[in-house]
Amino acid sequence: MSSLVVSIALFCIGLYAVLTRKEVIAILVGVEVMIAGALLVLVMLGSHAANGASIHAVALLILVLAATEAAVGLGLLVAAARRLSTTCVDEMTEVRG
Amino acid sequence: MSALIFWLLAICAGIGALAVVMSHDVMRLALGLGLVLLSTAGFFVLLGFGFLALAEVFVYAGGVLVLVLFAIMLVHRGEPGQPSLEVTHDPLILVGCVGVFALLLAVLRPVALQLQTSSGGSVDALGSVLLGDLLLPFELSGLLLLAALVAVVSVMGGDRR
Amino acid sequence: MSALLTGAAWGLAAASLIAVAALIGVWWERKVAGRIQMRFGPQEAGPAGLLQTLSDTLKLMLKEDITPTAADVPVFRAMPFLVFVPVASALVVIPYASGWAPFNIATGAVFFLAVPGLSVLGILLAGWASQNTYASIGGVRAAAQMISYELPRTLSVLSLCLLAGSLSTGTIRAEWRWWWVPLTAVGFLVYFISSIAEVNRGPFDLAEAESELVAGYFTDYSGIRWAIFMMAEYGGVVAASLFGAATFLGGGLGLSGVPGALLFVALTALIATAMIWAKWTFPRMRADQLMTFAWKVLTPMALVQLLAVGIALAARVVLS
Repeated sequence: MSSLVVSIALFCIGLYAVLTRKEVIAILVGVEVMIAGALLVLVMLGSHAANGASIHAVALLILVLAATEAAVGLGLLVAAARRLSTTCVDEMTEVRG
Repeated sequence: MSALIFWLLAICAGIGALAVVMSHDVMRLALGLGLVLLSTAGFFVLLGFGFLALAEVFVYAGGVLVLVLFAIMLVHRGEPGQPSLEVTHDPLILVGCVGVFALLLAVLRPVALQLQTSSGGSVDALGSVLLGDLLLPFELSGLLLLAALVAVVSVMGGDRR
Repeated sequence: MSALLTGAAWGLAAASLIAVAALIGVWWERKVAGRIQMRFGPQEAGPAGLLQTLSDTLKLMLKEDITPTAADVPVFRAMPFLVFVPVASALVVIPYASGWAPFNIATGAVFFLAVPGLSVLGILLAGWASQNTYASIGGVRAAAQMISYELPRTLSVLSLCLLAGSLSTGTIRAEWRWWWVPLTAVGFLVYFISSIAEVNRGPFDLAEAESELVAGYFTDYSGIRWAIFMMAEYGGVVAASLFGAATFLGGGLGLSGVPGALLFVALTALIATAMIWAKWTFPRMRADQLMTFAWKVLTPMALVQLLAVGIALAARVVLS
């Protein structure tokens, strides 16, 4: 039960960071915290289920997806910072780079 | 004993998450993320998901976090200590997040109370699931990684003449 | 509670093992390097200069622990430990006896590959927290190098896991057969080379290239904190040699009892000496050569090794 509270709290703190931060890098880090919280909810519920190995495998696949997301996101961040010379989401107003 | 470790990990995760929300310094932000990821791995161990914890350390703390640090070094060249990140706090967003928290807790609480305790299963069982029932998603995730690799190279190397 | 105490005891044992190994290792390295360069190496303090490292250690402990004014102080101070602890923790999953490791988990091989990788963070942040251009460049170089060489290293260890049918280091050593040595010779070579690169030692020491970067990521460190970085480097060498001897060479080549234990120690020392030998013989690589070597030579080699092991295992099933 307490682990459920902790994992949901982690998710919500990440959500707050995503909503309040203006820098792309901070938003990406907030998304990572959200994913950590969500994964923790899955694993926590999975550790109570009978088919633990299936949950384990699904969690591993989610880990891979999250890592991919982070890599592509950071690549886009660096490319955007080079071309638009800003890392603030509010200043990225041009569609053409 | 495991309750003590659990709360220690929870405090570490909390400090890390607060650093992600409040820090003005990009490096502290990344360190906070590191703390969150490592304590998440600790929770996985406590819940009996040892392999997942190691994968988290391998992929996240050893890989993604280093990527984040790389990106920070390439993009932000500010001095540490000087605020280089803007922090805006909005009470409305705070209320919204607390609402989401309450909602999720209310929805998930009955599910969590119903289930019996077991664990993440053995490594052998994990392997059979990954190469059995979940073979297609497993192979597709490999394809996805390759696509991401190509995508990042083309995005990053694209502006070099 | 007892599990935690045992863990703490093994951690302490690992740290002391590294300290002793570093004391002897530095002396041995200076002796070997001296011979390679047609010198004698240290010979004043104690018989054959054996006490030289001890006096150097005393000197380092008494030296002032300087923190640069511009540095990010708490991060700067903490980073030597973040580099050392993951490296030391690698020692608890090494199978010192057949079927037994201090921390004998089902995923020991993954632990050995994953947890020491955390020291990348320490190195990168040490370079950043110093607020020094040389240190930052050194940190970035070290991180890029360590991440790249993790891949061939993991793949080479994977072929052993395939042969043993297990990720547990204890099982790998228990299942070891003599024909693994010729079969995984290429894998062992890949493991050996990428281990040198993992611990940032020459010829892969671009991260601390003194002719261009002063001392790389630990340029601004002095006294005991500098010594902890050096200990971590020797700890990495010790862990890599022990793991190589215990799994690729089956401990004492499958011998049991006292001769096996002696052979295990001798093989470990041999691998460590070969690492020293490589450092003092080969010239330092360029950054682009380093990356090309990791991605275009070592990784394909490790993949071919994995394929060969798979074919051998399949052939064994078909023939029997």
